[in-house]
Amino acid sequence: MDKQTPQGVKLGPKEKQKEIIISMFKKAIASEVIDTVLLPMKVPSGDSYAWILIKDKSFLDKAEPFAPIMPINAAHAIKRLTRKGKAQYKTAVLIRPCEIRATVELVKLNQVCLDDVLLMTYDCIGAVPMDDFIKNPEIKEKEFASFQASGEFNSACMKAVCGFCTDFNRTSSDIHLSLSDRGIFISSNSCKGDEFIKNSRLTPDEDLSDWTKKLEIIESVRETKRKQVFAQTAGETDGIVNFHKIFESCIGCHNCGSVCPICYCRQCFFNSSVNEQNSDLKIIRAEQKGALSFPNDKIMFHIGRLTHMSLSCVSCGLCSEACPVNIPVANVFSYVAAQTQTAFDYKAGKSTGDALPMRDYRSEELGELGELVKSVDKQEGLNA
Amino acid sequence: MIEKIGIFLCECGPNIASKVDIDKIAADISALEDFKDKELVVKRHKLLCSVEGKKYLEDEIKSNNLTHLVCAACSPRDHDATFIGVCKKTQLNPYLYTIVNIREQCAWVTPDKAEATQKAVRLIHSGMNRVLYQEELFEKQLESNPDVLIIGAGIAGVQAALNLASKERTVYLIDRASELGGKTTRLHGLMTEQGSSLNMISQKIAKLSKNPFIKVFKSTILESIIGFQGNFEIVLKDLNNNETYEFMAGAVIIATGYDLLNAKKTDCFNFTEEHDVRSGIEIEALMSAQKRVLKKNGKAPLSVGIIHCAGREKVGYCSKICCNYLIKISGYLRTMYPEIPIIHYVRDLCLPTKDSQSHYKDAVSEKIEFQYVKNLSVTGESVKFTDNYGKTGTGDHDLIIYANAVIPSPGSAELAKLLNVDLDEFGFVKEAHLKINPVSSSGDGIFAIGAAHGPADVADSIIQAKAAAAKISTQLIPGQKIIPEIRVAEVLEAYCTGCQTCLKICKYGAIYFDEAKAVSVVNEAVCRGCGNCVGSCPSGSIRSKNFTNPQLFQEVKEAVR
Repeated sequence: MDKQTPQGVKLGPKEKQKEIIISMFKKAIASEVIDTVLLPMKVPSGDSYAWILIKDKSFLDKAEPFAPIMPINAAHAIKRLTRKGKAQYKTAVLIRPCEIRATVELVKLNQVCLDDVLLMTYDCIGAVPMDDFIKNPEIKEKEFASFQASGEFNSACMKAVCGFCTDFNRTSSDIHLSLSDRGIFISSNSCKGDEFIKNSRLTPDEDLSDWTKKLEIIESVRETKRKQVFAQTAGETDGIVNFHKIFESCIGCHNCGSVCPICYCRQCFFNSSVNEQNSDLKIIRAEQKGALSFPNDKIMFHIGRLTHMSLSCVSCGLCSEACPVNIPVANVFSYVAAQTQTAFDYKAGKSTGDALPMRDYRSEELGELGELVKSVDKQEGLNA
Repeated sequence: MIEKIGIFLCECGPNIASKVDIDKIAADISALEDFKDKELVVKRHKLLCSVEGKKYLEDEIKSNNLTHLVCAACSPRDHDATFIGVCKKTQLNPYLYTIVNIREQCAWVTPDKAEATQKAVRLIHSGMNRVLYQEELFEKQLESNPDVLIIGAGIAGVQAALNLASKERTVYLIDRASELGGKTTRLHGLMTEQGSSLNMISQKIAKLSKNPFIKVFKSTILESIIGFQGNFEIVLKDLNNNETYEFMAGAVIIATGYDLLNAKKTDCFNFTEEHDVRSGIEIEALMSAQKRVLKKNGKAPLSVGIIHCAGREKVGYCSKICCNYLIKISGYLRTMYPEIPIIHYVRDLCLPTKDSQSHYKDAVSEKIEFQYVKNLSVTGESVKFTDNYGKTGTGDHDLIIYANAVIPSPGSAELAKLLNVDLDEFGFVKEAHLKINPVSSSGDGIFAIGAAHGPADVADSIIQAKAAAAKISTQLIPGQKIIPEIRVAEVLEAYCTGCQTCLKICKYGAIYFDEAKAVSVVNEAVCRGCGNCVGSCPSGSIRSKNFTNPQLFQEVKEAVR
């Protein structure tokens, strides 16, 4: 992530952030800098938010740029919009940093096309857990709004993963909105971002390093929290017995996979007929183990998902949100993802230019394999 | 219908029979619990791949009206195709047969007979499980284009064109140079015929122009090629006006020839343009133009030093043709200058052809000296050397002629990439197999002849050109259809997410992306069924016919029990 001293343009005072952002989009649509905007909007019943693609700028007044909850990862919405090719209209999306990262991963998997999409993000204070929100939407909304207004980045009211998220600010977006103490600043992270700022007739002239320093302090607090959570998760999941324990209450609903922005397969292997076996095999396994619990691929599902997607996991936490039996799925997945990504010197969502480790063939890797095979042969005395 | 599975145990002479208990295998297989409701025909035979064995198998399949077949024999690499061939003569679909390898996997590797026998039973059991899940597959026929593209119009390319062109087969002969004939036109004489090389190639080129079935493209390169044997879509580009020309062909011959290593790049030479230091090919040019070899100042040389193997150490191989042509050149010189000293500086003399030895003897009898050296250095026209006994010596000459190493033609790597064929460690086109398939490249339907796959003289090039022509004549018979591999991959459209991982993985270029549907599609004619895409597909949406998950699962189920 680009942590160089950014230059920004002040859009207005911090207290009026919602109005400022909406008016920015209105101006951008009016001057044809962009054609459409994808933003969250409260659903009519008032207890949730949905992603709305806005073409008619009068709808912008109903939008909530900073929704307190994250029911659907925006990467899902962008995928639905652009999977079959570019968006055709210049579309701006204002989404959380973890959603940006998920979108970047989907670009590499050819599920998203960003040709006509402008990615915008902001300094994210986190999202309220769905469970808490649904119980009392009005109170939670007010609470979140006050945290958002005062810039409370360490609230205990947010999702568990938000508490230890260290990538909550400037990320691989085109445009970044700094919600600093001095006001709201807009700055660019890419050529597309530069173009947007230029076309909006703005001139970045203010140094934002003071705010960047403040964010770094918050980041270090989060980092400490992250280490604690990972240490705890390591203890809880170490070894197959503990791993079983953490997932033993799983009911096999596969919700975690359905909401995961990275699980992009049309048909999950674990839901497919390929995964079905004849009863004789179940009986053989029951014989071997003494008894067999059903459905019997609960743990395999989670291990399979970790194998398939942990390299691209962005720790958005939706899996934990979706779990009806409150398994801390996101903690486990974040913990494993941190290790698999480190192993490949890869960071999910960092840049669309980084090759996915499993799709990046490097011949020297075969060299290592060759050396490995040789050494095994030598040990076994097979090397004539 | 009750499945009737034939299980045929091949003794492979003593190879299998002496290492496992075949009767016990037959008994154990016949008694398998989970095959009680199936009809089994378990038989043994001395050598199923023999003529008699194949007839026996064919008769057994027919008379027992088998629905499935398991051959417990050797590696599928040896005889899978043999048994498929037998099935094709019967009512049994060849893809309801499977081979189990009880030779390499049991008899040859498991010394304990009882253990090997038990292992064989389990492997055959696995195969029986698998075969029940196999599906009938039906071969397809594809139209095949008999035309041939030849890249490079040197002696090899021209010869191949003359041999291949006919009423039913058009040959497209291209060369990036503006004239035909390649390097051969630069030679003065030939070793064997003692005739003019220019004459020989000119005669062949004249024949080309009279042949209406050869289309010649000068100053033209291959722009792009897609497809497979029998169906290559080719685009050529004219270097003068960048115009393109498109056509279909069934085979491609690479006849791009060679280049010569710059002698100045080798560490034993130190000379400038003023010195009388010339390569063999320069002497050939002088001979062709002036019929004489003179020094740069126009005077006759008084002493000639001939250096062999310039750059051999650097390139790492013997260029094979040089000793011969240097002896030929020293012959020219001796005729011109009967009295002057002519000394060959030789590290290892390479006399590969039948006539080489007599040319060498002639040279010695004409007082041409051969100085064997271990190391040498050439500064200007003087030679310093160490012989094989460690003795040092010098040679002062006023003309140095050297033979520099034969290297791949410039642009070989780019061409190989375009054609998707492998190169060897030196950058020449790699043969499919040096002994079994010496004029084929690693790509089906793509051949390499002459110096394109290593140093070759005119005679070699002609032989290889004729060999490739013969090979193509038997593989691409005009009017005959080709039967592609049918155990290929297929994409399940409904599951494909369009991530295009498979496109990157496929070595054969057999997968393309359907932009409208946003899914990958396998070109069945190009696919070789290697299965790499199946393994790489993140969403499991590619399956390999005859290697489906249920089939593999059934096979492994028994093996790991």
